[in-house]
Amino acid sequence: MKFDHAEKKESWIRRNGYLFLSLLLLAALVISVLVAVTVGSVSISVGEVYRVILFRFLGMGSMELFSSAAVVDVVWLIRLPRLLLAVAVGMGLSICGVVMQAIVKNPLADPYVLGVSSGASLGATAAIMLGVGSLLGTNAVGVFAFAGAFGISLLVLLVSQVGGRSTSMKLLLAGIALSAVCSAFSSFIIYVTNDSKATETLTYWLMGSLAGAKWSSLAVLFPIVALGTGFFWTQYRTLNLMLMGDDVSITLGTNLHRYRQLYLVISAMMIGFVVCYSGMIGFVGLVIPHVVRMVLGTDHKKVIPVSALLGGIFLVWADVLCRVIIPHSELPIGIFISMIGAPCFLYLMIRKKYGFGGGAS
Amino acid sequence: MKIETKSLEASLGGIPILKGIDLALANQEFVGVLGPNGSGKSTLLKCIYRVLKPTEGAVFLDGRELRQYKPKESAKKVAVVAQHHNTSFDFSVEEVVMMGRSPHKKAMERNNQEDYRIAKEALRTVQMEGCEKRSFSTLSGGEQQRVMVARALAQQTDCLILDEPTNHLDIKYQLQLMELIKKLELTVISAIHDLNIAAMYCDRLYLLDQGQIVAQGTPEQVLTEGRIRQVYEVNSRVFREETTGRLHILYHSTTARQETTN
Repeated sequence: MKFDHAEKKESWIRRNGYLFLSLLLLAALVISVLVAVTVGSVSISVGEVYRVILFRFLGMGSMELFSSAAVVDVVWLIRLPRLLLAVAVGMGLSICGVVMQAIVKNPLADPYVLGVSSGASLGATAAIMLGVGSLLGTNAVGVFAFAGAFGISLLVLLVSQVGGRSTSMKLLLAGIALSAVCSAFSSFIIYVTNDSKATETLTYWLMGSLAGAKWSSLAVLFPIVALGTGFFWTQYRTLNLMLMGDDVSITLGTNLHRYRQLYLVISAMMIGFVVCYSGMIGFVGLVIPHVVRMVLGTDHKKVIPVSALLGGIFLVWADVLCRVIIPHSELPIGIFISMIGAPCFLYLMIRKKYGFGGGAS
Repeated sequence: MKIETKSLEASLGGIPILKGIDLALANQEFVGVLGPNGSGKSTLLKCIYRVLKPTEGAVFLDGRELRQYKPKESAKKVAVVAQHHNTSFDFSVEEVVMMGRSPHKKAMERNNQEDYRIAKEALRTVQMEGCEKRSFSTLSGGEQQRVMVARALAQQTDCLILDEPTNHLDIKYQLQLMELIKKLELTVISAIHDLNIAAMYCDRLYLLDQGQIVAQGTPEQVLTEGRIRQVYEVNSRVFREETTGRLHILYHSTTARQETTN
């Protein structure tokens, strides 16, 4: 009897250990942000940074305590929004990566796989090269990129339904085909406008950046990412079934067809907003889910929360390193992540003999 | 649990595969569906487990048309063990078996102690207890299929559909799996490739050829030398082993066609 109890306790810990891990990661995320906020090109003492945060957050202290008003602006209007944007973008990309891999049942999928990257590029190209976006205010490029990314996702979904129900394979093929069309149009616009200055702007935009962070954009992005993550966490059972395929799922009482559409629209929305505020940051959405799976297995009940938190932490530190690695200059975060992340991922894969399942033996 | 099909027709890509199948299973009966490749065995079973929609006719579970069941409802009545193949994502054994609980769960309901108990019980039944933590992909083919049976058992259905579950398995595992399922005392309908295995385990057989039932009845009624030649185009000898009373089919190496032309 006593043994039985101990056994039960042990299996409870095994099944719910991920919650403990999630709490640890949550703490690590908060600490990361608090440490990262003290790092920057303008040297401000640690104490002053926290005084600014306490002042703006809780109204403690007063303006006169700071060495200059600029200090408050740097911490409150530049550093902190930027870090929180990193958290939201990291979470959003990781979650959409997990979901996309389930939707198309393919471990090589990333958030951009179903034409999102080409759609966003086309939107950004149109905004920058043709100047059509200037009516929409300062983040016109982002808005156009969002429209491109979201629009192309819906189009992929629509095309995959032609001639019968969409399957993961048809989604992938439709995504590849429509990507090609979008890329061609982007190139076409670049070619005919022949504006090297604008091309340069576009190239920089596509590399991704967190520099444009503002509290107003966080107020939009954070709730979307948080709600999306929460929603997908509740859907872990269906996400698991997606990996087993349509035929198995129907015998287990779930018709995946409608869920696939719903998830695709929600993740396209999330990723569209992420692209809108940060441009294209590759690799995070592909790697974070796999790193989490290597450690915790495939069950989405664990993969979703842990990926979200790990993605947030990862992007915070990536952004810090981008700012400090070259003195007085900033490396585009997209480039940095691919340069550092890809070799790390390969190392993990080889060392742990991780073969996306199947080859794990 | 009763399963019936009435003049069931189905086609794949416009080509008719099933041409009016009438089939009936009584409670706790073990029924085998036989037939050469392309005869429609799998298509028939897929119509019963809802992966395919029949073009004509209907399937009835306990007298009610399958179409009127929600997917979750039918998944509480019928569980499926399909052909063995690999998935590219890696779940633990326990996670796979717990998927069998999904028809019993509401959209946001969590797994509770009862679910874990049922999963454990199912693994015990298939003699895979203690393997909960192992990764599904590291199991042998025979073990994987046993876990699949456990998943089906976790669904707690009265009926089990087996769609050639012993394909690609060594003979030891084929027998082990069939033995195991036979002991469960469920209503079972199984597509079977191997006629000897069909004769060993099935109460009743349906023999399909080109989308039609050409024979039905007990193994000795269905598996005659004449019919095997006619349907499978193979010469054979069917005999009863004296000590055990078991039916055996021995094949001859040449096909019936070649024999007649030679």
